[in-house]
Amino acid sequence: MACFTIDEQVINGESLPLFSLTVNDSQVTSVYSDADVQAKLVKILRSNTSIPVLDLQEGLYMRLSVEDNIAFFKKWFECKMPLPQILVEFELHTCAKKALDKCSESEIRRVYFAKYYISGYKKMAFLEPIHGVDVITVNTFINMLQKIKHLKIPVLILVSGMEHAVLLGDSVYKLQQNGLQEVEVDEMATLQPEMESSREPVVANLFKISARVGDKIILFDPTEIDYIESQDGKTMIIINEESFAMEYTLAEVDKKLEVFGFYRCHRSYIVNLQKVREIITWSKNTYSLRISNKVQSTIPLSRSKIQDIQEKLILK
Amino acid sequence: MSVQRILAIFEKDIKDFPKNMALLMLPVSNALLALIYSLTFDGELPIKLLYVIIGATLSMVTSGIMMSMIAEENEKNTMRGLIQSPASLLDIIIGKSLVTGIITVISLMISLMIVGIEPFLNFRAIIGLILLFLFFLLLGIGIGLFSKSLAATSGYLMPVMFLFGFTPMIATFQFAEDSMIVRVTNTFPIMQAIELYQKSFWLPLCIIAIWIIGAALFTYVCFRKVMTDD
Repeated sequence: MACFTIDEQVINGESLPLFSLTVNDSQVTSVYSDADVQAKLVKILRSNTSIPVLDLQEGLYMRLSVEDNIAFFKKWFECKMPLPQILVEFELHTCAKKALDKCSESEIRRVYFAKYYISGYKKMAFLEPIHGVDVITVNTFINMLQKIKHLKIPVLILVSGMEHAVLLGDSVYKLQQNGLQEVEVDEMATLQPEMESSREPVVANLFKISARVGDKIILFDPTEIDYIESQDGKTMIIINEESFAMEYTLAEVDKKLEVFGFYRCHRSYIVNLQKVREIITWSKNTYSLRISNKVQSTIPLSRSKIQDIQEKLILK
Repeated sequence: MSVQRILAIFEKDIKDFPKNMALLMLPVSNALLALIYSLTFDGELPIKLLYVIIGATLSMVTSGIMMSMIAEENEKNTMRGLIQSPASLLDIIIGKSLVTGIITVISLMISLMIVGIEPFLNFRAIIGLILLFLFFLLLGIGIGLFSKSLAATSGYLMPVMFLFGFTPMIATFQFAEDSMIVRVTNTFPIMQAIELYQKSFWLPLCIIAIWIIGAALFTYVCFRKVMTDD
């Protein structure tokens, strides 16, 4: 197993607290500290170890396009991955022909990520990798961390924000003048049983609906939701074109959301009645509901429910 | 040393060259210079003037482009992360030398086409040109390695241009035939190339070779300095 250790020997009398931290390849380690301590840590990493600190400070070829830059790094580092695959995996295919000095900061950041990824380092330390970039770029970086983990490369991430440390690291540490402390991360695994047991009493005053995106839990206001759909046995919340998977079954959700004006209009659909714009009657007595959202989605309405829904919407 | 890396650098710099106005202007202004000379003189140009044009091309295009390309990588910090050993710095230099070589050949052809290429289509002249190219290339690499910024290179380029590029012009300043300046400048590479072209063969060849060795030593010292600095 590949790993590297930062210990007393590495710190070597610098004005940092003495600690020993082993970074192994099975877990991304993130260290969260203030700017002062971080600068000192970077300095000792640079001068006392061979760990490359990837700080996004070195230049790229700004006059050349994204594609030309990546093509150059790919050749230089003798990377076997095909160029289109690199571009797609780092979300650079849409700006491949753009010169770097016309690219946004997030796009440039993804070029850095691609460069670091193909540079074939055997160990890596990132400094503030996702500071001030958009969601796509953060996602790209998280995907890249997964791939690096597969390649058995130990990764250390130095950030000054707790939320970034928790988002990126599997094991999170806080480094202060008085020492290094491990921060407990609320993993989904530990969170789930808790939710299971506390489900019943919460129902009465539940006012948020939770969905899972990767490791994160997103909370929605019931009024935001357009409708809820069951796709291949998974319950999905639909808001405009976006869909979010949630934990409960459709029946459970129906029970909870009834009070918010949601209605089970079909075997696999629950609709937010507030958002229904139109009831469409097709031939042969089939019906659809048109939702007043950006994409004007239509969802099916069961024949048996037409009476009921009309009553609910006081159409009769 | 790796051929793939040399090719990578070569391809990158060839793509970058047309996009870099500062570098693009060097061969263009050089062609303009040749055009002005050919328009102001009627008939055949004197051989010394032809060598002024060659000197201008080699100093501006060969040395100028080479030093700018290396200095830009230095200044913009793009070499960090690429260079892990002296071999990879050598790869970069060789790749860039290839680019410079191609641009020099094209630029020299254009300039000489304008003023008349016939006097240079013989063995002696071509040997002279190749040696001069090597000298100016090494000089460019050396200066590029030790200058920290692009702005500095244009400063360094000036003396190189006047001393080594426009040497035959100094002879037109009406110094006494045996004065110190004339005797010293007569040993400069361009003057020796004229000598090689017009009169003897071996002596000027040796003198130019010494100049090349000098430039190579200078480049080597700069190379060592860059490697130990990092």
